[in-house]
Amino acid sequence: MIGSSSSLRDIKSISPWQRLLVLAMATFTIAPFAPLIIQSLAFRWAWPNILPTVWWHEQRERSPFPLAWDYVFSPSSRVAEATINTLGIGIAVTLLCLLICLPAARVLAQRNFRGKNQLEFLIALPLLIPEAAIGIALLMIFIALGFAGTYAGVIVVHLIPTIPYMVRMLTAVYQGHGTDAEDHARVLGANRRQIFFRVTLPMILPGVIAGCLFTFLVSTNLFLLTFFIGQGQIITLPTLLFAKISGGALDATGAGIALIASVPGIILLIFTDRFIRSYPLAE
Amino acid sequence: MAAFCHPLFMKRKLMPKALPVNSKTAASPALMQNLRDVAEVMPLLVILLGLFGGAIVLGILQSFGYAPWFGINEFPTTRYFERLWLSVDFWASLGLTLYYGFAATLIGLVISIPLSIALSKKFRASRVFGALIRLPLMVPYTVGIALALVMLGNGGLLSRISASLGLIDDPAQFVQILKTHGGCGIIAVYVWKQVPFMTLTLSAVLARKGEDTVEAAMVLGANSRQIFWRVTLPQIMPGIVSASLICFAFNIGAFEAPLILGGGYPDTLPVLAWRYFQDANYAFQLQGMAVVVSLALVSGIFLAVYLLGYRRYERARGRV
Repeated sequence: MIGSSSSLRDIKSISPWQRLLVLAMATFTIAPFAPLIIQSLAFRWAWPNILPTVWWHEQRERSPFPLAWDYVFSPSSRVAEATINTLGIGIAVTLLCLLICLPAARVLAQRNFRGKNQLEFLIALPLLIPEAAIGIALLMIFIALGFAGTYAGVIVVHLIPTIPYMVRMLTAVYQGHGTDAEDHARVLGANRRQIFFRVTLPMILPGVIAGCLFTFLVSTNLFLLTFFIGQGQIITLPTLLFAKISGGALDATGAGIALIASVPGIILLIFTDRFIRSYPLAE
Repeated sequence: MAAFCHPLFMKRKLMPKALPVNSKTAASPALMQNLRDVAEVMPLLVILLGLFGGAIVLGILQSFGYAPWFGINEFPTTRYFERLWLSVDFWASLGLTLYYGFAATLIGLVISIPLSIALSKKFRASRVFGALIRLPLMVPYTVGIALALVMLGNGGLLSRISASLGLIDDPAQFVQILKTHGGCGIIAVYVWKQVPFMTLTLSAVLARKGEDTVEAAMVLGANSRQIFWRVTLPQIMPGIVSASLICFAFNIGAFEAPLILGGGYPDTLPVLAWRYFQDANYAFQLQGMAVVVSLALVSGIFLAVYLLGYRRYERARGRV
């Protein structure tokens, strides 16, 4: 976006109000994680102490049962199972979503036909109808089909909120490339398969990766649809955390699980900064 | 987007496609191409219409009394809607749902519009700040709820800090943020989670528009207030509309934050629907479905009104 880093201005180049806003929002965003981390390491943290009086590591030898992080990493917390489920479902949803959306995105990007606007609206609709409404109505269908509480059911239902984003991102990618290169390859005698794997795919790959990462992210963070359709039999990190905090209190293990549930997102944030940044939401 | 609607592009699309070298079978390449296009859109259509359309149709049927699998078939009856819409509780729930949804979306917009403009001026740390501010987008809502519990609860960090400042000397004296119908905790979680989404959407629009128009306005002597109201805001309007629609729909359909952080009875509509579904008496499920359909109806009405208003705005600006 900007040629060289030397042309970047200091933060003082924006007005004091803007500086205040940026700093305040960064604080509002990040600061709550500090007490969460402290809570996950605390054994006794009575009001009104700012820091715990007894820490977890001071008690862990004495306690007959696992505490805080020891409990989080013990099999009885089901964190490992939830992590595997979350990642597995995320990968399956991403691949399935890509398979469904890639061909459709090409058509949407390159063709004009009657009803195209209506089709685009239909694709955006899952984002505009409340998730709870879709989830509860689908639960009835899935119970009738024997799909409720199965991996297949959860994976299929995750397609609903992920498809709109995937289609948008892939359509934008296809639009950015046009069809010239494919036309050339066809004139030169390449068959359809060669054209796709040798010409199209290498060109659109960055956009495809961005779409996949975003889809994976949406899927791993999804709570409501997993909770409704999974029927408590499929636990993922968000639903495990929900079960832990639904009483309205947060103990050390709850804080630990909350931190674990943030890990996939934080990893994606660090490693995929440039992919996520450029995703074309703004249509 | 606009570039691809340009007549030049349209014309090129209508030009005959380059034919395969040995195409004996392709009697009509255009027809083959059309069939292939249809086949490629089909999986998406089937999934969307099957899942989404199926859910809507079945939901509506059930709310009108069609549930043969429970041995209930009174279709069509408006009994469930009547019972629901004539109760005061429903309107209280609807009011709460809309209040949380509107307040959070509005506060989110008020924060993210200036934030995206500030971050679009590239300064040395803007990337780091941009990434930090994006963090809530990457984590589940339930993490946001956990953060609200540990920060805003009566035994939370803010309460402890007030005590160490000598403002209060008992947790019960701390201002009740969670578990009230004021809903500050719920709104805080929504705002925390959605400001990154809105900011990212608006930043994408701003990046595409570039700074040329702003600079031109500056050269022509506009002050910063005029630039914001006359240049920047109209430019990012499409982003504002799409981001606020998505966030509003999410907010009124959210379940976990009102359930954990809300004040209990009367609940928001999604929680109310869930309670009906958890009831051992399955006849209540049809009542719950009436709640769900009402919720979808309300969001549909808001969507239509909002889009109509937006179209009028665009027309007034001569952009449609």
